[in-house]
Amino acid sequence: MKLQFVYLYRNLARNPRRTLLTCAAVALPITVFVLSMAVVDGFNQFLDNSTRQLRLAVTHKTSIVNPLPEGHRRKIEALDPTGRRLLAVCGLRYIGGQREDDPTPLSTLAVDADTFAACFPEQRLTAEELELWNRDRQAIIIGRGTAGDMGWKVGDRVTIMPSVPPYQPLEFHVVSTAEKAEDFVTNWCRRDYLEEVLKEAGALEGMVTFFFVKCAGKADLDHYRAEIDRQFTGSLDETKCQDEKTFMNEFITQQFDLPTNLSILAGMTVFVAIMAAANTMSMNFRDRANEVATLKSLGFGGGFAFGLIQSESLLLCAIGGAVGALAPYVAFTFTPLRDFTIPLIQTLIIMPGTCLKAMLIAMAIGVLAAVWPSWQAFRMKVVVALRQFE
Amino acid sequence: MNDPEQYVGLPLYYNWRNLLARRLSTALTFTVVAVLVAVLAVLLSFAAGIRASLTASGSALNVMVLQTGATAESTSIVNPDEVGRLIQTPGIASDAIGQPLLSQELCVQTSIPRRGQAGALANVAVRGVDPAAFSVHDEVRIIEGRLPAAAALEIIVGKAAADRFQRLDIGDTVELGRAGNRFYKVVGIFAAGGGALESEIWAPRTILSDSYDRRFVSSVVMRIQGAGFAEEAISYVRGSAVRLNARLESDYYIELTSKTRQIVTLTTILIAIMAVGAVFAVANTMYAAVDGRRREIAMLRTIGFARRSIVVSFMIESLSVCVVACLFGLALSLLINGSRRDFLSDTTWTVLAYDLRITPGIVLAALGLATSVGVVGGLAPALRASRTRIIEALRKS
Repeated sequence: MKLQFVYLYRNLARNPRRTLLTCAAVALPITVFVLSMAVVDGFNQFLDNSTRQLRLAVTHKTSIVNPLPEGHRRKIEALDPTGRRLLAVCGLRYIGGQREDDPTPLSTLAVDADTFAACFPEQRLTAEELELWNRDRQAIIIGRGTAGDMGWKVGDRVTIMPSVPPYQPLEFHVVSTAEKAEDFVTNWCRRDYLEEVLKEAGALEGMVTFFFVKCAGKADLDHYRAEIDRQFTGSLDETKCQDEKTFMNEFITQQFDLPTNLSILAGMTVFVAIMAAANTMSMNFRDRANEVATLKSLGFGGGFAFGLIQSESLLLCAIGGAVGALAPYVAFTFTPLRDFTIPLIQTLIIMPGTCLKAMLIAMAIGVLAAVWPSWQAFRMKVVVALRQFE
Repeated sequence: MNDPEQYVGLPLYYNWRNLLARRLSTALTFTVVAVLVAVLAVLLSFAAGIRASLTASGSALNVMVLQTGATAESTSIVNPDEVGRLIQTPGIASDAIGQPLLSQELCVQTSIPRRGQAGALANVAVRGVDPAAFSVHDEVRIIEGRLPAAAALEIIVGKAAADRFQRLDIGDTVELGRAGNRFYKVVGIFAAGGGALESEIWAPRTILSDSYDRRFVSSVVMRIQGAGFAEEAISYVRGSAVRLNARLESDYYIELTSKTRQIVTLTTILIAIMAVGAVFAVANTMYAAVDGRRREIAMLRTIGFARRSIVVSFMIESLSVCVVACLFGLALSLLINGSRRDFLSDTTWTVLAYDLRITPGIVLAALGLATSVGVVGGLAPALRASRTRIIEALRKS
């Protein structure tokens, strides 16, 4: 065994340039694999978080863009008069918007002030922030990322030009920058203030883009998903009720279906890494065919030769895999790249599990890449090989 | 060959034989570069397809009017009194009977299942139009069936929408309206020069307004007499007489192409990392080739081939593998050329169907990438080969 380790080390050190190039040729596709899978994991985690929130999304049956009357809220609440199973119903109206002098699009939603905190507990508002929110109709919670980009802070008066009616500047008072919220992009303002402005402007009022319904448990989620739709069957504004995960997933799959496409890309990168590693191992075997023949003639068996080539390939790819997996982990955890944002999943978090998976894949690449050369070594006929000895 | 540094090229046959002598190694390097090029081409074809579809949309002779502050037709409300003021717009073109070419359009959306994907719904745009729309959007023409009859619950469907979404063939019925209880019959399929309008469903505006209980339009598109009238017309609409937002229709669609910039950025980052990996793979192969042919190189130098000839020869080898692999990768990517996809615009909140396109620009980008990989990966080994010490290498033989 000791001989095998010494031989392995010597082989890798014998051609350091080749060792280095092979490690790099494996490491870089593994980096792409880790980045792609981190985005896919981010989407999955985002969807899992949505599942954990036990919320239903209620939209218009015909299309998400068609609004629903705000009166639907009372009818949904009436499905559980005790309020034990349907904890909160919150109407949301899309505002979008931008600053008056800056075309950067904002993500702003007007929400029912009284049920917002109960329906979206992941916003983690402090008691003080909540009090300001309840007291001031012009209150707005700015996502901390947006606040940083726009230079807004608590106490500021900010003006947003909505992308929808009433198409006139709306003035808000920043009461929070959602320091502990998972979502750090979206801004939340009060719908009663928006309704007041819509009324003054003579625009269509009393409509919401969708409702979010917070349920007490999984069973309630399943029960009310059907119950809410049944409640509005036959009405002018029928609803389509989905759990939040399904609702969000519809958006994701319609926008290039990034998780599927990135998974395909990750598969391709693994294939590229296999090809690169197989190339090296075939070159190594060809260069050392004489040595393998000599070893066999000295009495070492086919298994020894097989194991030698397999372990060399495994080690090379494991080193490449470790570098390729750890480089993005370090970059996106400890450098300014950690602030890099992607729509919906927001920060790109490289999970240790993803790195571990990538390293295991790199080792599998090593095994696969050496299958042919090691089999050749195993089956090598000593006499034939030595005859070719130069 | 008296001058030792005189350049005399090695025959290409020599390079070809050398590549064949290391078949497996050549094939594996070839595969790495071919996959890299195919991935690059496929990723860029998404952006090219969307860009081609959007830039083919809209005319530079049309002025599109939205409500001030609205970023897209789906969030715009233009009231009838505002439409009335637009008739006075300077430079507006007229039809044969002197009516201003002004198309009032109502945009709503409906969810329609995609073909071949059970349960996957797409948010498809439904545009309510008057007959004037066909003069203003003169690229729109019926390719199958007929136009909707006046005051009938009938629709025509864009070619891309009919291909991509279910139940949009002629004779099918689509449920539209605020309550989804108006049954519109598909009576025609239209083309729009490959532009975004081909992803839409068109219905008579008054009937659609009634179905959705809408008393306004989303946008107004005006045909102007010539490109020279555009500035004046836009200023008029933005000015105190109308106070709406106007821009060239072509500019509106070009602004929607911003999504493609994200795809190109993502593609560039991922491909750059993969390309560096490919450079290492090529360099590895070429170093192995140099190491294995040291005596051969020394012999070539002895019989008078200059260092430059050796460098060029190895570069030809490296480049040939990469360029041929590139052509193979491009041929692979052509398999998806023209296949139809769609995406949900986060500006309009409707889906845009587009064809994946392998454009000449993508071919050039792929060739550029493969050439760079070949040059960068092959240069260091080629230089190493040219510096082979003749006596030392020959002594080893």
